[in-house]
Amino acid sequence: MTIELRNVVLLVRKEVVEARRNRWVLLYATVFAVLSLALSWMGLAGLSGYGLSGFGRTAASMINLVMLTVPLMGLTLGATSLAGERERGTLLFMASQPLTRFEVLAGKFIGMAVALLGALVVGFGLSGVVIAYYGGTTSVGQYVGLLGLTFILAMATLGIGMAVASLTQRTDTAIGVALFTWLVLVVIGDLGIIGGSLLADVGISRMFALVLINPLQVFKLAAILTIRGSLDVLGPVGVYATRAHGGSLLALLVAVSMVWVVAGFCVSYGVFRRKGAV
Amino acid sequence: MVKPSVTIIIACLVTYASGAADSLGSTRIVGSDAGPKGLFDTLVDAVDGDTVLVTGGRFDGHIVIDRSITLIGQDWPVIDGGGTGTVVTVSAPDVTIRGCVIRNSGVLLEAENAGLAVGADRVAVVGNRIEDVLFGVYLRQADSCLVRANRIAGYATLAPARRGDLVRAWYSKHASIEDNVLEEGRDLIVWFSDYSVVRGNTVSNARYGVHLMYDSDCEVSDNVFIHNSVGAYLMYSRRLVVQGNTMAYNRGPSGFGLGLKDLDDTDVTDNFIVDNRVGIFVDNSPREIDSSMLYKHNVIAYNDQGVRLHASVERTRVTINSFMDNYEHVSVPGGGHAPRVEWYGNYWSDYEGYDADGDGTGDVPYRSEKLFEDLIGRHPKLRLFVYSPAIQAMSLAARAFPVVRPQPKLIDNTPRLMPYFTSRSRVIDKRSALPLGAACVTFIGLGIVMGLKTGLGGNVKGPRERRRGGAG
Repeated sequence: MTIELRNVVLLVRKEVVEARRNRWVLLYATVFAVLSLALSWMGLAGLSGYGLSGFGRTAASMINLVMLTVPLMGLTLGATSLAGERERGTLLFMASQPLTRFEVLAGKFIGMAVALLGALVVGFGLSGVVIAYYGGTTSVGQYVGLLGLTFILAMATLGIGMAVASLTQRTDTAIGVALFTWLVLVVIGDLGIIGGSLLADVGISRMFALVLINPLQVFKLAAILTIRGSLDVLGPVGVYATRAHGGSLLALLVAVSMVWVVAGFCVSYGVFRRKGAV
Repeated sequence: MVKPSVTIIIACLVTYASGAADSLGSTRIVGSDAGPKGLFDTLVDAVDGDTVLVTGGRFDGHIVIDRSITLIGQDWPVIDGGGTGTVVTVSAPDVTIRGCVIRNSGVLLEAENAGLAVGADRVAVVGNRIEDVLFGVYLRQADSCLVRANRIAGYATLAPARRGDLVRAWYSKHASIEDNVLEEGRDLIVWFSDYSVVRGNTVSNARYGVHLMYDSDCEVSDNVFIHNSVGAYLMYSRRLVVQGNTMAYNRGPSGFGLGLKDLDDTDVTDNFIVDNRVGIFVDNSPREIDSSMLYKHNVIAYNDQGVRLHASVERTRVTINSFMDNYEHVSVPGGGHAPRVEWYGNYWSDYEGYDADGDGTGDVPYRSEKLFEDLIGRHPKLRLFVYSPAIQAMSLAARAFPVVRPQPKLIDNTPRLMPYFTSRSRVIDKRSALPLGAACVTFIGLGIVMGLKTGLGGNVKGPRERRRGGAG
């Protein structure tokens, strides 16, 4: 398989242009920016005047906001884009061009990732300016780290969204399945683990392993680790994770997230290669 | 309470004045090139009331001050113990030491090697730099001593378990420990020393910021205890005043901002207790049947648990404190609630009531009852799920359908609507927010450029023909 980089770049640009015209992407970007702005505003009515800060409302609510909105963006964008193009026949047109299927799909994926990154960068930028203006004590490194982790989460959910689209027949179905996946990742999965651990006596190490399945929880762990330097706010399981994996914990969490990115892309590529553009 | 420190300060001023006055003693000058022998000879020759002025230089060895003199260092003369024993030993009363660098004590815990060991009354240790020592200033059965404005740093390379106390008072009543900066030690500890004052110190990277054992009528005020294992751990004492301190980022294995064990009649007021594992840990305080505890005007914010206390705590009033964004404001280990604690007039950041009559007090009681906190209390490992949307959904459901409503941990009938900030506490150095602002402005610019630039893609051409003809 040969990959012509120029073709991929071309498709990425096409995808970004389309994302810019996509009202959903604009809506998500606006909602994300406004919410993060409002949250950082409200959360700062605290102790920064005394030179004190903590893992308080700002950080916690930013993590929650990201966990709610970013997967929604990634999943629906991934699902609608691939399924929509297939339904409109543009994917077929694309496949008829002198392009490999890998180039087509990689172009789509990277293009949508870039569009998501644009939305995230603006949202993070606006709230960061507010935090800085009101004398928040967040360091640049932590903030950029948080942005990076959010981007990885966006790519992971984008990959899952594309996999969902390739496994379903129609756009409506793809969106429905993507939304259900979102609900599972955000609420149902966690409640399942909580309920399960109450019924069966799940050990601490197994609980940590279970939680690693969910890319949202992985993002949460990595974000708290970036901000705090350890997971001790998460109680016994957090202390166990910090002790057991030490300095390589962040690398482990990032690697787990990247597995989702790659897996989502590979599934949709496999199906696309086998089934073609119809 | 009579402030014992006033008498101490007067005593020390008199000491200092008498030492400095030429009418009482002569001034002996030790030059910077005198060498250790020069200093030791001068100290041997000096008589009570003399002043020994050391104008810089370095003196290797251990010195003993056994007469009531004033030792003043100019241009930071260094007294270096060479890594063995106790560097300076004071065995005469009314000695003043100021402006000296004392360093390199031994590291034997069992020998209690110290930078400065004091075994006599009314000794003043003021404005010295005491570095690389096991114990810093050790007051042993030395009443009415003053330890003020010293910078004391332990051996940072020693494992925490091998460190000594940077200030230790042992059976030394009326000790004044003020405005010192302590780093990399074990505790600032006061044992069996009634009427002592610990005021205005900054202690960081230690085990306990301050540790009181069996003291009565002591004051712990206006100190900053940050990045220690525990901020302040006060035990087995009566009639303490704990006022205006900042206890922040204390997150060792126990990680208390302020730990209170077997205390009686203690007032905890005007403190900032921020981002500790547990803000205030109440363990069997009050202990005696005739004593009570008061917590007032404290800001308790961003801790994992704001206050942790057992259900058996009683004769305790908690009022006009600001509980802000603690993950759990109040924790009662083992579940249940603390029915005999009086909570009134506090600010609770998760209060959801209203104030229709505008008197600053909420019209509906604050009830601390969260299903998930209840669950965490019984299953600590579920704490893993804090800060997750699932938990919010669960609390929301529990409020909407209160079939599984837990018992409230506390009820505050007169919750404040606005937090109360005491003006007493000290401001910690702030980090500049400029880099973050600059980085984020760059972010926004980048986002806008990405948005605009791609829209100008007029030169979108068809895909390049593959020479080998391998179409997809």
